Amino acid sequence: MLESILKRARTGNVTVGLPTADLPAPFRGMPVIGDAFRSGNVAEACAAVCATEAIDPERKTIDLGRCVFCGLCEEACGGEGIRFSQDPRLPWGKREHLVLGGPEPGDATAPPDLRSLLGRSLHLREVSAGGCNGCDLEAQALGNPIFDLQRFGIDFVASPRHADGLLVTGPVSKNMREALVKTYEAVAEPRIVIAIGACAASGGIFRGSYAVENGVGDTLPVDLFIPGCPPHPLTLLYGILGFLGRSPEKSPRG
Amino acid sequence: MRCLHTFDLGLSPPLAEEAFRTFLRDTIAGGDRLLALFAEEPSSGRFLLHAVAGGASPGRFVHACTEVSPLSFRTFTDVCPGTHWFEREIYDLFGLVPEDHPEINPLRFHEGWPKKSFPMRSGGAPAPDARRGYRFLLVRGEGIHEVAVGPVHAGIIEPGHFRFSCAGETVQNLEIRLGYQHKGIESLLPGVPGMPKVLLSESISGDTAVGHSTACARLLEAITGKPADPSAERWRAVALEIERISNHCGDLGGLSTDIGYLFGAAHFGRLRGAALNLLLKITGNRFGRGLNRIGGIGPRVPGIAPEDLMVELGRLRNDVEEVGTTLLDAPSVVARMEGTGRLLPHTAKTLQIVGMAARASGRDVDARRDFPSPAYAESSPAKVLLDTGDVMARARVRFMEMRASFDWLSGILAAAMPQGTTETGGILPATDRRLVVSIEEGWRGEIVHAAIVDGVGRITRYKVVDPSFRNWPGLSFAVQKNVISDFPVCNKSFNLSYSGADL
Repeated sequence: MLESILKRARTGNVTVGLPTADLPAPFRGMPVIGDAFRSGNVAEACAAVCATEAIDPERKTIDLGRCVFCGLCEEACGGEGIRFSQDPRLPWGKREHLVLGGPEPGDATAPPDLRSLLGRSLHLREVSAGGCNGCDLEAQALGNPIFDLQRFGIDFVASPRHADGLLVTGPVSKNMREALVKTYEAVAEPRIVIAIGACAASGGIFRGSYAVENGVGDTLPVDLFIPGCPPHPLTLLYGILGFLGRSPEKSPRG
Repeated sequence: MRCLHTFDLGLSPPLAEEAFRTFLRDTIAGGDRLLALFAEEPSSGRFLLHAVAGGASPGRFVHACTEVSPLSFRTFTDVCPGTHWFEREIYDLFGLVPEDHPEINPLRFHEGWPKKSFPMRSGGAPAPDARRGYRFLLVRGEGIHEVAVGPVHAGIIEPGHFRFSCAGETVQNLEIRLGYQHKGIESLLPGVPGMPKVLLSESISGDTAVGHSTACARLLEAITGKPADPSAERWRAVALEIERISNHCGDLGGLSTDIGYLFGAAHFGRLRGAALNLLLKITGNRFGRGLNRIGGIGPRVPGIAPEDLMVELGRLRNDVEEVGTTLLDAPSVVARMEGTGRLLPHTAKTLQIVGMAARASGRDVDARRDFPSPAYAESSPAKVLLDTGDVMARARVRFMEMRASFDWLSGILAAAMPQGTTETGGILPATDRRLVVSIEEGWRGEIVHAAIVDGVGRITRYKVVDPSFRNWPGLSFAVQKNVISDFPVCNKSFNLSYSGADL
């Protein structure tokens, strides 16, 4: 008993603040598009090595809803066209907000009436729908003392009946589709759906398999997509708080 | 390289089904263990079953195959109970029915699937009439009731369905129904051996990205004839041990949560994060994605100097030591974990349980010593073996394995980087049809990747065996005669992957 109290005192506060700076190298965060990608022909070289067809060499865009952040495109172009920065703050919003280099898609924040209804509280039911478990683990990590999601009034609850919405991971395997729909229907309206990770946005690395739907969007109306493979917990916090219109700069620090 | 082996399939013609049965019985009796059993359709309408076994001595692999009728074969569970789930998988994917199998319930497919659809079977041979529907075992007796849990659970975990038959509080039988995470991974792996396959292997089980991608990368290196150099192999092993530490920390935290010991939950939750952040500093991702390339490691790997990594590991080790000792010495923890969820050594042996769970039930199996990769051939972490088989043993094995990993890591990081080239034993030149097998000891247990390659170096069949696939049946046995409220802590003590089992 005494050791545990002493250990707690020695450890102190381990909670981190919200992302305002880069994570340590060689973290692969927000991709930076170089001039060579926009004007030259390196987009083709990048697209050729992309396993998830995230790069459109015609339109010169990168779809972060498909990107698995493997870094092969950066290696193919020597960093001239695409370079992964260490910034965990990735774009979030509707599906089109995840496309870099495309037209400006506008504001993705939750509508004011929903925000005022939720106030400073958001309770989510998590549904793992066919992924590899990576996104689930990062959602779970949000509850540990380092990321401490509860300080923002956000929490995961055991039943959809207690939830304001769902947080879904995975491409939606055919075997999970029915359970996902039933869980969604068990949430009282108004309800939101947050889809995290490349699989949930597009099927990701499993896209095209006989056993999966290609993302949550074909099954449920999605309010918020957050990219990553899997998204870093700070990327998740950034996206969820941003969607709720709660400016990260004004949020409590660790 | 003793973690890899190539069989020239031209030299091992199919055995008759009875000879194949004898092969399975004799290799298991002789101290080898089953590594994989899988089906293949080498030409339209023709089916082979392949069995790979080994481990009786370091680097020993044996293989046999048999041709089966396009509709069925007689089950091998009578001579080797470890084939139980493999046969159900073969039935689901290929429509080959294991006759007299004790429990031929679908493993992958649920009610919504077309009855005659067997995804890995071509249209070249008539398929069985219909897939059997799923039937739960019915336990009869006075006061017996059923409790159904899942697929959507209360916590943030993967989907699976558990059906308990209880008398009062006591579990008489636990039936585990999986398949919810089935993604058809094995249908995406054949083809040209390129980087997309390695990326896919990182997503077989999200918490074992290093283990699976290393096994996959080595296999593709054997096919393409481009082994990684010894320094890359060393970084693979370093990342693998840190992956082990991160998961063992996470599990000790999870076990603490399940028995309401908040001190352990909070600290090990935090220490798991610290270990993941070390993987991030090495590979650029918290789960070690991006570590592997075919023929080596990523250009940004390692992102941290060995000296700096040693300092950080030293700090982590002190924390793990302090928190782990407090946890495992706490009388309230010992009282809850001791004697709970016992998997008896005899059961573990019969079911051919692997990895950490096996080593808590007196079964001395560890691919780092039985099939050592180049870095473990230099030296391997100290052996950890307990035999009580309860939740306490699985917790203690995790703690002791972390100690062994820290010891090994400090030795290997202090030693000079190995130079020269990797020996290419286990790699055959591309000539004829061949079977390449690659093994790595992930944190749960041995990961087996096997590929059948044609004469031009194309993969025609790729088999993945995650240790979870081997160990799920063990959980059912461990839970029997325990109170149902102890199921969470029993389940966590195995912490098996649903994705890895469902593929």
